[in-house]
Parts: sequence; C-alpha cells; structure tokens
Amino acid sequence: MGTKEKKPARESGQRPKQRLKRAMLVDLYEARQFLTLDTIKETGLRMPVQVYFKDPAVAETTAVAGIDNDFTTPWEPGLGDGPTSARFAVVDYDATTNVLTPPAIWDRKRNCYVAADRKTALDGKTKDLYQYHQLSVWAIVQNALDYFESSSGLGRRISWAFEGNRLIIVPHAGYGENAYYDRESKSLQLYWFASAKGTVFTCLSSDIVNHEFGHAVLDGLRPHYYESLATETAAFHEFLGDLTAILMAFRNNAFRKIVLKESHGKLTNAQLLAGLAQQFGAATEEAPYLRSGLNSQTMKRLAGTIEPHALSEVLTGAMFDILMGIFAKHRTNEIKRAKRGKSGKPSDIRAFADTVPRMQMLAIQPLDLLPPCAVTFRDYALAVLRSEQVSNPTDPTGYRELMIKCFIKRGVLTQRDRKDLMEPAPVFRRLALDVFHPVDDLAASRGGAYRFLDDNRAKLRIPANVDIIVPEIVRARKRNRDGLPQPDQIILQYLWREELILEGARFGRFAGERTAMLCGGTIVLDQSGNVIHWARKPGTLAVGNSQAARDDQAEGLERRKELLNTIAARIAAGVIGDTIGGELGLLGRASPPFTLRRVDGTIRFSLAPHFSIRGDAPDDETGDRQWQISF
Amino acid sequence: MADKLLIRLFDVGLGDCIYCRIPKAHKDGRDFHILIDCGTLSSTDYLSDAVKHLKALLPLIGGKRHVDLLVVTHEHKDHMTGFGMKLWDGMSFGAIWMSAAMDLNHPEAKRAKKLHAFAAGAMQQALRLNLALGPQLTELAAAVALNKTAMTTLRETLPKKNKIKATYVHSQSSKKDLALPLKGATVSVLGPEKDIDFYYLGRAGDPSLRRALGLIDSGLPDPATAVPNEKNIPAPANIDPAEFRQLRSRMLSTALAFADLDGKVCNNTSVVLLIVWKGRRLLFVGDAEWDGAFKKGTKANCSWNVMWNLRKKQLDGPLAFYKIGHHGSVNATPWGQTPVARSGEPLAILDAILPVKSKAKAAAIVSTRRGNYPTIPRTDLLAEIGGRVSNTRNYADAFTKALKKTSEVPQFAEYERKSFAKPQPRRTDLERMLVDSKPFVDVEIDSPH
Repeated sequence: MGTKEKKPARESGQRPKQRLKRAMLVDLYEARQFLTLDTIKETGLRMPVQVYFKDPAVAETTAVAGIDNDFTTPWEPGLGDGPTSARFAVVDYDATTNVLTPPAIWDRKRNCYVAADRKTALDGKTKDLYQYHQLSVWAIVQNALDYFESSSGLGRRISWAFEGNRLIIVPHAGYGENAYYDRESKSLQLYWFASAKGTVFTCLSSDIVNHEFGHAVLDGLRPHYYESLATETAAFHEFLGDLTAILMAFRNNAFRKIVLKESHGKLTNAQLLAGLAQQFGAATEEAPYLRSGLNSQTMKRLAGTIEPHALSEVLTGAMFDILMGIFAKHRTNEIKRAKRGKSGKPSDIRAFADTVPRMQMLAIQPLDLLPPCAVTFRDYALAVLRSEQVSNPTDPTGYRELMIKCFIKRGVLTQRDRKDLMEPAPVFRRLALDVFHPVDDLAASRGGAYRFLDDNRAKLRIPANVDIIVPEIVRARKRNRDGLPQPDQIILQYLWREELILEGARFGRFAGERTAMLCGGTIVLDQSGNVIHWARKPGTLAVGNSQAARDDQAEGLERRKELLNTIAARIAAGVIGDTIGGELGLLGRASPPFTLRRVDGTIRFSLAPHFSIRGDAPDDETGDRQWQISF
Repeated sequence: MADKLLIRLFDVGLGDCIYCRIPKAHKDGRDFHILIDCGTLSSTDYLSDAVKHLKALLPLIGGKRHVDLLVVTHEHKDHMTGFGMKLWDGMSFGAIWMSAAMDLNHPEAKRAKKLHAFAAGAMQQALRLNLALGPQLTELAAAVALNKTAMTTLRETLPKKNKIKATYVHSQSSKKDLALPLKGATVSVLGPEKDIDFYYLGRAGDPSLRRALGLIDSGLPDPATAVPNEKNIPAPANIDPAEFRQLRSRMLSTALAFADLDGKVCNNTSVVLLIVWKGRRLLFVGDAEWDGAFKKGTKANCSWNVMWNLRKKQLDGPLAFYKIGHHGSVNATPWGQTPVARSGEPLAILDAILPVKSKAKAAAIVSTRRGNYPTIPRTDLLAEIGGRVSNTRNYADAFTKALKKTSEVPQFAEYERKSFAKPQPRRTDLERMLVDSKPFVDVEIDSPH
C-alpha cells in the first residue's frame, strides 16, 4: 500500500501487546481494507495460529515437520466454537468410531481458541489435542480463502458451488487414506490412518488440506466443470488443487527458508524443485501426494491419456517453469541492484520472497477469465497471458515472452498462438455490439446481464433459439504487483445446452439416450466497457455468415466430436457408474470416478468425488469389473 | 438315460442349489448323488420347492432320502440360507464339505475370520436397524449378515445326526479328508488354497492393503459403533440436523468398506470342485472371482488367478460342463472384457477351459435372476460363453415363438436387449419364463462310447 515506511517487524508468534476492546476491533475490522498488513497483525485482525506444515508422522525431515511461527489467519467478529466462522463450520465427527469430539472454544476475552477446559491455549505444544487439529485445519482454509478473495487474488468474494455459504470441515472423518471435497454434503472430509510412525492425520498436512480446498474453490468459481467427462477438465481440477497447495506452501516462510537452505543457496531449477519434491514428502511413506512440479510432461507425450492426475502434471510443470523463470528475473534484478550499490548483497531470500506474491497474482487472477464449461489447459494459458497483459501492459521485464515460451514447451500453446499473442495490438478494445448497455446496468443483476446478452446475440454469436443461463455476474477489484488497482472487472458467464444423441453401439448401455454439450462463454469487461477477456465455447450452429461465425462453428463441431469420443472412451473403460452408498455412508471402492444423473430425460455426466489421497485410482484396466460388489 | 450324468440347477431365484448325479459311480454300484449349495437372496419359497423336487431324485436308504456328498461352497446367504430352514428332516448325508474359510479353527485364516466376524455383525446391525442402503448394498448386507441357524445346522446338527464330521476342504486337503465312496469318477478341490490369509487377503507389502490389514489386526470397531443406531449418534451444535444426516450419508463407511472386502474374500474362498467322469471334466466354481493378474503375497488375489497359477495342471483343459460363476456376474468368469484382459490371464483362462473349437462338446448353465443388483447377470458375458458351448438358446426367437413379452423380463431395455438375440447358455430365470413353472435347468452328459 503506497510508500509508507515499514515499521520494525515484530517477533514471530507473539500476540499483539495491546489488547483492544471489542468495539474498537470491530471498527478496525470494518476499515481493514485500508490498513497495512503490519497494522492488521498488530491489532489482532489477523490471529496468529501455530500450524504444522506437514503431519510429523509423514514428514520426510523434522524441519518440515516444524511449526510455522509466522502463520496468521483472518479474524472475524462472529467467530464461534468449532471453530465456526462466516464461511466454515468445523464438525469433528468420526464415522468409524461414532464419536463427536467437543469443539475448540472461542475465548472472546483472550481473542483466541482454547481447549475444552476453557483454559489451555491451542498451539504446537498441544499437538495431540483434537481441538488443536480443529483449529489448525480451520486456520489453514480460512487463510487460503482470504488468499483467493484478496485483491492480490480475485479481488472479490467468491461463493461455493452448493446452496449455502458454510463449508463443513471434518478433520477426523474416519479411518482411511482419504481426503476429499464433496459438493453434495458441502464438506471437506479428512481421514486418518495408521502407519509405522503412529496415526497419520491428513488434517495436519497443509498440502492435503489446501489441495482439497482448491477443489472447493474451483467448484464454486466454475460449478459446471464438474459436469464433464473430459480428461483436461478433470485434470484442471487436479491442477488447481496442486497449485493451491504449492502457492500456500510458498507463502509459508518457514518452508521457503527450508527450501533455500536445502539447496545450499544455489537455486537452480533442478535443485530447488528437487528440494520441493522431497519436502512435500509422502502422504503415506510411499506415494508422493502432490504431483511434482519437477516433471517434463508435455501434451504430446500424454496424448490420449484419460488419467486426470497424470495429465495435470503438464500444467503444474508449466507453472513451475514460469515460477523459476520469474525467480531468475528477480535474482538478476537483485544482482543488478547490488552492483549499482543500491542495496546490500544480492539476497536469494528476498528474490524468492518477491517471486511468491507475483506468482499468486499471475496464477490466481486469471481464474476469473476462464470459460464457464469444458475448460482446457489452453484456456488457462490464454487467461494467464491476458491477465498479465492487463495488469502489466508495458511488460518491461518480458514476462509475457517468458510465459509463452513455457507454455509452448509443454505443448499447451503452439507457435501459431505465439504469433497471434505477440502481434502488436491495442491492449483494450471494445466489443462490437448491436445494442449498447451501460456496464453498471448489466453488472447489477443476472437479469440485466441476460438482457445485454440477448440484445446482442448476433454479434456475440449466441444462437437465437437457445435459452441462455446466466450462472453468475460479479464485479472484482484486483490489484497489481505494485499494489495499484487494476481496472474493475465485470465478469459475466453465460451457458446453454446443445442436445446430443448417443447414437451407436460404442455408447454401450447409454446407446440411444440423450445428453448435452455445454456451450457458452465468459465476458470480462472493465468499468468502461472495454473487453478484458472473452472466452468462448461455441456450439455447432453457425450464428451468421461471418468468418468468425464459421470458425466458431468449426470449433463447435470439433468439440462435439471430441465430447462423443470421450464419452465412448469412458464407457468402454467402464468408469461411469453410481456412487455407491446410502444412509450408512459411502463405499468408495465400488464407486467409479465418473457418475451421472438424469434431468428432464437427458443424462448429465459428472466427476464423482475422488476419495483416495493416492493419485489416479489404480485402474487395472479390466473395465467395470473392478467396481463389482462381491456378495 | 440312466447312463447319463445329470446336472440340475434348480431355479431358486438369485442363488444356487445344484444337484449332480454321476451314474453308477458309488462303490456299491448305484448312482452317486451330490448337492452343491442351497441358498437364495430371493424368496425362500424357491428353496422349499427345490428341496421337494430334489428329494424325489434321491434314493431311499434306511427310510431317508440320501445325499452322498453335500458341498457348501462359501458362507453367503445365496448359497447356504436353505440350511437354516426346516427342510432336511427325512434326509441323510454321507459327507459334508465346506470351504476351509468356514473353519473357525483354520490357522491360516485368522485375519479372514476377524474380518468376517466384523462384517457379518455390521451388516446384521444394518439390517436390524432397517437402514436405507440402496439396492446394491442391500444385497451385500443380506448376503453377508450372520446366519447362525444355517451354520449350526451345517457344523453340528447334520453331522451329529449322520454320525459324520464336517470336512473343511482346500486345495491341499489330504486324500483321507477327501475320501469318498466313489468309483469311475474323481472329485477334486481346486480352491481355496490352504493359506487363506496369504493368498486372498495378501501380506502388508501392498501399501493400500496395509492399512486395511492393520486395522483388522489392531482392532476393528464394534459393529454397533460402525453401524450406530440413530439415537446413539451425537448431534453437533454448529450445523443443523438435516445437514448432519446428509454429511453422514456422504462419509466413507468403515462397515461397508470391510464388509465389501469380506465379501470379496468370501467369494474367492469358494470351494471350486472339479469332477472328472470318464474323461469328462465338470467345473463348479461357486462365486469365485477373477481380476487382471495374480500377484504372490502382496495382493488380495482372486480365485481364478490363484488357480491358474498354482493349480494350472488341473484347471488347464477343456471342460464338458461349466457352472457359470456368481449367477452370471461380470467378475466371476474370466474373459476378454478389455484389451488388457484379452492380452493377459483372463482370456487365456477362458480359452483353456472353453475353447471355441471344442464348443460342440461343452455345456454351461447359470442360476440367476435380475433384481436389486441390476448388472447381474451380465448378458454380454453370457453371450461370450454362448459362443463357446452347445446348450444355448436364442431367447429372442424363443420368446417370440412362445408368445412371451420381453417387457416382462426385468430391466430388459437397459440390460438384456443388446444380447437377447445372441445364443446364451440356458438360464434358470428365462427358462422359467418360457416354460411356465419349470423350476430347473438340466445338462445331461453322455458316456463316451
């Protein structure tokens, strides 16, 4: 925020010396957007909570198993026992033991959470108390949500995909190597299991918690991504889970220091990333939880794969490459600055610390620019580049070139894309429209947004005879790297369904039934009506005679062909079926990764919850035999 | 007529009740009579009818209808619930065989036993509480739940009455244990293997298995805890009751997970019988399952793969008769369902036991009914078997000729239509529909000249 002088940093982990009266705290809370981070921490608007980076029972080294002493999480006036806050409710029910553990108690006087005895503060010393786990997992997601909603992130409040606004967090859901987000029960469930080193609690591993939380966030931003069988769309979900875990890990000061230390100050690509892979360690002793960013996967190499976790590595790898490229630039800057005598020795720690918030903006802010359905890696890459262009139009350090190179290396973008993207052009354009609508009108309601779309169907190439769904219209205030406000973004999503008949034997038991291809787009305008981004998923009807309409139609036909092929492939692999369960709970083993429901006589295929913390479910490639129940 | 070997599968709905008569194979010169299983998940009236018909086929010896060998393949309701009913008065038994997995004292089944006790108790609890389980899980719960009466009958009542001891059989049972008054025919046991825990639960080498085995060893919860009564479930204060109920229904159930594993172990420790009579090989597989491949020790293996690797000499060879496993389920007969299955063990096994070129000399039948578990039987599998045996029927033609409506076949459009016009091995469910009140399906095997 501006150019204020920095106050001396306080010692980590300490509570603010002066305890404010509640009324004053609420007053400051109302004004928090104008306060510096130091003030926020000093006044208690961010509460210090000692969280573990990783459950010590699985951490590769004791260093990573340590407490993050600098971790803080946003305070709210309405905090309650649980913890329960505006967007989260921790329910500590264990389905294996049928035990509801008493909640962590909110001590209003001390402004912190305490154990059931109403006295003991919950911190790293009380690691074995379940109330400490409750607090820890709540603090992690409370912090992660703030990260997404802050102006360095999406710059707006986000919603969940389900009805209601509180995500239920279950820190000790039961026995199993499982952790998953489930839209149907509005929950994030974290299980525990036994290992040689003792009980492993997935709720204590921040990477697992953040990964699953990433799914909840993306589902809220783009609920129609779940209604898909496409590998890339499912892979994008996995990518976002990993991205969330990685970015939140990078924000962990202790973690950054460890990584730097482990690489002995020499931060070349390989050493840094190898260090990361090791530090993420195992969720179990054998399987790495996060797909390592240190991979060399490309779209070409994984062409034809139907495994979402495997495919997600391409995008994770690309973003890692970008991260390293940015770090390299920051290092170069540090060295230049030192040479000019402007600062002391060049500091890798500082360069790394600067890279992290840059990465946050670069990776998170584009999420608002994504299409409403059937997302591909290419959609994301284009959104990343456009988002960067808008927040950094002159690009003196050449980030754009760097990012395009990284995406091309992985096959996410092509040379043809590069040519189009690097073509000199005005940063801001206006949409060609038939009927002008003031931005404030269309931003004020879904109805207003719809009238804008409907009046301009021809120019927006939306077919005349489809009814359009407007899932969301939002207004965001993002900031750029220097803390300066970007233009406001008015983000408008629209969708329609184009009916498809599953004709042919390749559709197995669904042959002859109907499903739909989701079509639509996301239009992002600034407050003046300039187009920030327009991501389209066309249908197969040509809207008009223009070249653009014909191109759209070609793309729509290609999309339909691919969708039908994907459906057939999933059917052949026997991976679509019911999620098996009832009043007693779910049987994960018998539940395939894709499911379906019938609405108005058509089938809607969708992703099923991914129960296991182990990557892609071990598909023994014997078809649906593997889901049979043996009675 | 009297020189033919008869196999009769009684129509007992979704269950097995199998009679086999080997002509003149008893040491005393008379026929040898075998009964394999008597159970169902459908109405138990079927079982009373079946046993009534069975009795009429059996010789009267000492005032009782006599069965020379009773085999109970595994402890699932659809194979043994009949033994808990009052059907067996007036009958005598020469020998009773059960799977070694049903032997409470079998040393190599300690884990399997713990698992089974938990699973049976938990599923019994689920049924007692009348929980809404959904159709597929209802079958699992019914099959696995405790059936004390039947087990008492098999372990105590019948042996005592007949002055014999029940024998728990496995592939390494001694000749003495398997001794029968047979001549001109042999009855061998191809499965289960003696070391049940090792082969069918696996050792803790496989990480995903380690957790399950660990919990089995260290202590599965009490069934009343794993399947709690609603009034014993505590209520959280910070979400409302409807949300909590919904949450619980979307959490992973330990009871279901382990009942599921127990179901798999139980099926895969089915007694697999190979009867050889005058060079004719007859295979009765209970509910034995298959998967992609055999792995020694670190995997919960399936029976077919274990037999193919350890009992290959006995299994590898064309059959004259195959009792289609688990009521025509997709995982009970190995076949080339996918490219991987085609290039590996599964198709190799099927080609060995039912080679297409030996079609004329092979027969297969299935005892089944489509109900709560909609994908049993798998008609594309039945069509595949139909291409390898001679006792088939084109049910599309048969229904037309008999003026029967396909709309009366359960879930016809979704699960039957595609394969209906392809020759399928005779099925008890459809045969019953075609020929009113025909309560069985037969295969007769000639004596070679």
